[in-house]
Amino acid sequence: MADGRTPRGAGEDGVVPVGPAPAVRPFLVTAGRVAGAGEAASGRPMPVETQLVATATGLDELDRLSFEQHDIVAACRVPQSIAEIAARLRLHLNVVRVLAEDLRAAGQLSVHVPDSGVTHDASVLRRLIDGLRAIPDSRGVLRDSD
Amino acid sequence: MASAPSPTPGGYSVTPTEPLVRHTAGRAVVRPPLPVKLVIAGGFGVGKTTAVGAISEIEPLTTEAAITEVAAGVDDLSHTPRKTTTTVAMDFGCITIDPTLKLYLFGTPGQERFGFMWDDIVEGAVGGLVIVDTRRLDDCYAAVDYFEHRRIPFAVAVNAFDGHVEHSLEEVRWALDVSEGVPVLVFDARERGSVRDALLVVLEQALARTEG
Repeated sequence: MADGRTPRGAGEDGVVPVGPAPAVRPFLVTAGRVAGAGEAASGRPMPVETQLVATATGLDELDRLSFEQHDIVAACRVPQSIAEIAARLRLHLNVVRVLAEDLRAAGQLSVHVPDSGVTHDASVLRRLIDGLRAIPDSRGVLRDSD
Repeated sequence: MASAPSPTPGGYSVTPTEPLVRHTAGRAVVRPPLPVKLVIAGGFGVGKTTAVGAISEIEPLTTEAAITEVAAGVDDLSHTPRKTTTTVAMDFGCITIDPTLKLYLFGTPGQERFGFMWDDIVEGAVGGLVIVDTRRLDDCYAAVDYFEHRRIPFAVAVNAFDGHVEHSLEEVRWALDVSEGVPVLVFDARERGSVRDALLVVLEQALARTEG
């Protein structure tokens, strides 16, 4: 880690921000719900890589949305995974899952759950392999521009 | 793996197989890429975040996943009115392959007691990379067991701290008792090319599995 690349707040080296878990407060924004309707029905949470994208309706109604809902829709002008939204907005994953379902029900957010049959397809894996092979060894000058 | 559902061009299923997979009332303003997930596991301080950072196009992000510890070992929650919630940090990054395909790399804490969160994070992953520090082999047993048990394609990557490894790959393979088909390799978590090659080994494993 001497290369200075260990990011802030990283989970390496045991420096996990565990502490007393804020078990209640994060879920105030979900009115206490810890699972969305979809999860209750299927028994499985949305995968963390599930893509969230704002809808035209969501952007039109942005001014009327409050706090977290507003921030999620605004951030999702560009497609984002649930994990990215959680990290960038500093929300718990499950809070994002619950709010994403609410926003989807309201037509303000489009939620794209990847189909594991598709992501595991040989053609997708080959495209990943080809894409990775194209990545150069060195970081070059790209680091600063992204 | 012959019975994949008929995909749309973008890779999302149109006919839902479960309630979660359905289209929303509103239309997305932009079509998202198909996200594919690969899990990077191993003990604390073994180089997971370093590996993610070496190849990710974004600085690794950290999200705090709330896990309910009681769910890891207790079956009947009805007798447990008070559940213990713990927060664990999970680091991740991504690589955009093209506008329609994006690879996500999730680094997960390796402790056994986080089994519950592993299911949450690993669900749907195409493969896993278990990073090993040969000075602390014990730290990766849980990850190796997990991937083997869940039949997720994976490879074991020994992180060469300071360029050398204390044990030979054969010794590592023997100590971890991984099956013959599981690749065991040496890599440097700080080097982009080295991380790329380790990920390629995992993806080749996954591909070989589909072609069975």
